[in-house]
Amino acid sequence: MDNRSNWHRIAYAALIVIVVLTGMLVSNAYHLQLLTFIGINTLLALGLNMLMGYAGQISLGHAAFYGIGAYTTAILTVHYAISPWLALPAAILIAMAIAYIVGVPTLKLSGYYLGMGTLGFGMIVHILFREWSGVTGGASGFIGIPPLELGPVSFSSGRNYFYLVWAIVLLSLIICRRIIDSRLGRGLRSIHDGEKAARAVGVNTGKLKLQVFVLSAAFSALAGFLYAHLVYFISPGTFDFITSIRIVTMVVIGGMASIWGALLGASLLTLLPEWLHSFSEFEMVVYGLILMSVMIFLPQGLTRGLMDIYERSKRQPDR
Amino acid sequence: MSDRRDSRTGSRPLLELEAVSKSFGGVHAVRGVSFQLTPESITGLIGPNGAGKTTLFNLITGLFPANSGRMIYEGETTHKVCIHELVRRGISRTFQNVELFESMSVLENILVGQHSRTRCGMWGSIFRFPWVLREEQQARRNALALLEFVGLEDYAAQKSSDLPFGWQRLLELARALAARPKLLLLDEPAAGLNIVETTQLGELIKKIREQGVTILLVEHDMSLTMTVSDKIIVLDQGVKIAEGPPREVQRDEAVVKAYLGTTG
Amino acid sequence: MQEVLQYIFSGITSGAIYAVIAVGFSMLYNSTELINFAHGEFVMLGALSFVTLSGPFQLPLLPAFILSVAGVAVIGMLFERLAIRTVRTPNPIVLIIITVGASIFLKGVGMLIWGKDAHTMPPFSGHPPLDIAGAKLLAQSLWIVAILFITVAGLHLFYKKTLTGKAMEACAISQKAAWLTGIPSKFMVLLAFGLSTGMGAVAGVIISPITMSSYDMGTMLGLKGFCAAMLGGLGSLWGSVIGGLLLGILEALGVGLVSSGLKDATAFLLLLFILYVRPSGIIGSVEVERF
Ligand SMILES: Nc1ncnc2c1ncn2[C@@H]1O[C@H](COP(=O)(O)OP(=O)(O)O)[C@@H](O)[C@H]1O
Ligand SMILES: [Mg+2]
Repeated sequence: MDNRSNWHRIAYAALIVIVVLTGMLVSNAYHLQLLTFIGINTLLALGLNMLMGYAGQISLGHAAFYGIGAYTTAILTVHYAISPWLALPAAILIAMAIAYIVGVPTLKLSGYYLGMGTLGFGMIVHILFREWSGVTGGASGFIGIPPLELGPVSFSSGRNYFYLVWAIVLLSLIICRRIIDSRLGRGLRSIHDGEKAARAVGVNTGKLKLQVFVLSAAFSALAGFLYAHLVYFISPGTFDFITSIRIVTMVVIGGMASIWGALLGASLLTLLPEWLHSFSEFEMVVYGLILMSVMIFLPQGLTRGLMDIYERSKRQPDR
Repeated sequence: MSDRRDSRTGSRPLLELEAVSKSFGGVHAVRGVSFQLTPESITGLIGPNGAGKTTLFNLITGLFPANSGRMIYEGETTHKVCIHELVRRGISRTFQNVELFESMSVLENILVGQHSRTRCGMWGSIFRFPWVLREEQQARRNALALLEFVGLEDYAAQKSSDLPFGWQRLLELARALAARPKLLLLDEPAAGLNIVETTQLGELIKKIREQGVTILLVEHDMSLTMTVSDKIIVLDQGVKIAEGPPREVQRDEAVVKAYLGTTG
Repeated sequence: MQEVLQYIFSGITSGAIYAVIAVGFSMLYNSTELINFAHGEFVMLGALSFVTLSGPFQLPLLPAFILSVAGVAVIGMLFERLAIRTVRTPNPIVLIIITVGASIFLKGVGMLIWGKDAHTMPPFSGHPPLDIAGAKLLAQSLWIVAILFITVAGLHLFYKKTLTGKAMEACAISQKAAWLTGIPSKFMVLLAFGLSTGMGAVAGVIISPITMSSYDMGTMLGLKGFCAAMLGGLGSLWGSVIGGLLLGILEALGVGLVSSGLKDATAFLLLLFILYVRPSGIIGSVEVERF
């Protein structure tokens, strides 16, 4: 037990050091933005990982909450000139409320049906962003989202924003870790291992699933907020079905049921397209192949898969 | 309600079934079964395979509703009460095919078993208030005590799926006890255990009863059932065909026929 | 009135296409309990290979039709053999990601072969549109509906009358039991993939004269075909046909009478409605709890 939390403390410290050093050493604006995107994607993957990795419930519509976060802050700050810092709780609360309303009927489904239910929800929200042009700007998008400022500190510079996002990521990692290590987290994991047994030992599985669905929506909305104020411009295409799939992929590739897996998955999936640019025409082909091969050969994801390989090699001499 | 008294001990039955029936499509798994469980008693529920014993357990624990009939637990109906609420009120069970949480450690399995007895929620886990830490420590102490009770204290940190099968059954028993039940339902707890382990299990079951727990035991191992039970109920094809003290039931003609008719 | 009739005609046309796609989903689900998120990409492959075979390669329609469907079916079987069968932990999440990976891969392949441009195709026959009560019915629509019913009737006969078809149904009920009775269930799964993706290609072929075909046409068509299959009851052949037609008609009416913004939303609103209210579909009998 203590061993494990020590391990996590070291990992947090390492992450802080890496973030601070990166922030000092990297000066290329494009690279800083890319690193900031990794942070935003980590928040998305982390939220979905709570739902998928720990509670074992798939969602193919999480881009909807990402979009709800982004559009809420865009609409509030631009149309109503509300401070982004007030728009932030609004964005999160709205996403949570919608997750609650949608979650009640949807989480009664399981397996493919749950996948399809969440997919349908995601598509409808995406279509809403596209068609409700009076409010959302329609297909052409929403421009003029203000940068973040906190007193004298402006986050319009790449470096400050990078620090802001990663501070939030770190906080979120700690929050998720704490939830997982608690009574609540054990309840979630019991659903993943066996829903029937979980109910029989007194876990209110319906309530727990709904709670974690709402929580993951909150993380997604937070990511959406940070995205909107990073790029100042949002359009429906960012929050479509493909994005939902990409978030799922981050979770699965990085490794389900592992907060560091979310970080790894988000980093890989954010950087992969950059590397694949060199493949230009072949980008999609390679991306598809990587997805398939990881699932075929390391279905537990990279973190777990590599750990298993390591443990097997360690155990070998004993036999 | 309070006038329903057991004739022998004069106390109210802990659980009372009245003409409970359940069918799956065309299969009548349980047909009009009635009985009462006296507090702090051990009742053996026996019958050939497919007699409806597990189905009866599922009905009592609220996994699915009965088609007809009534179940009264501590004087209140259990109709439409959620499973987790029944657990909180004191009904716990084990499964015929051991159902542990395989990705979790032995200790964590028992901690989950205390879910209904602890209350830390989302905010509590994030902010780790002092009461949360106290609750967690208490839960761990309880869990270790339970592991000691079943003799698994040295394996607390192991992954539950790595335990040998017999120990998994013990762990599941400890997990059921973690919810501090008043009524404990054991579904074939000795299946797959060797003779020594079965004897130890019998001792454990008696000890659990001594702590004031009422036990309903499904078990094919007659030596175990007949020695620990105060009362035996016999099911055959969903129907209760006999009820009484072990010695009487063993002589009952209908029972002998039901058992000889099948494999026993 | 005349307008409504016109909407219904165009609804039936697109509905028939959704129906063919839905049938593909259902057949696969029936034999393997799997949902192929790459199904739409097989529709795309069918459409584009048909356009190429009958255009640049100048093949007559029928050989082009048969060749492209057979070719796509072979690709579908390769996909099963190389990807699906090698999966070690076949749980829904893993299979979903694999088929999603396949869909991205196939889309990439489509882009490499046919580029990013949209391709067009003349109608199957040059007949003028029919005039029914003032509404126009395109000859291509008749072709589409006719092909839908011919293929589905053919599949129906295949399942009910041939030994192989019956064996596939047996696999659908229980793979293990089928294996015990000596039915080669692995081969049946392979065949199911071939038939299912072949049906996808059929949908691609018949849609190619009425819309532009491009490498990215598959995703939306696949999703809508899936909605249609759910609507009719996943796993049911005729249910999928009804679901497809219903979806097409409701979509056309929604666009015509309410708002064009509703077009794509219709399918998903229906999907949610059916999932919440009657997950077994309007005529299906699938038990949802089981999955
Ligand atoms: N969930 C279920 N669905 C359908 N039939 C069931 C279900 N559970 C039990 N049955 C049927 O009910 C009958 C009684 O089964 P069960 O209660 O498991 O018997 P026992 O535990 O006494 O061996 C059997 O015929 C069994 O097939
Ligand atoms: Mg049983």
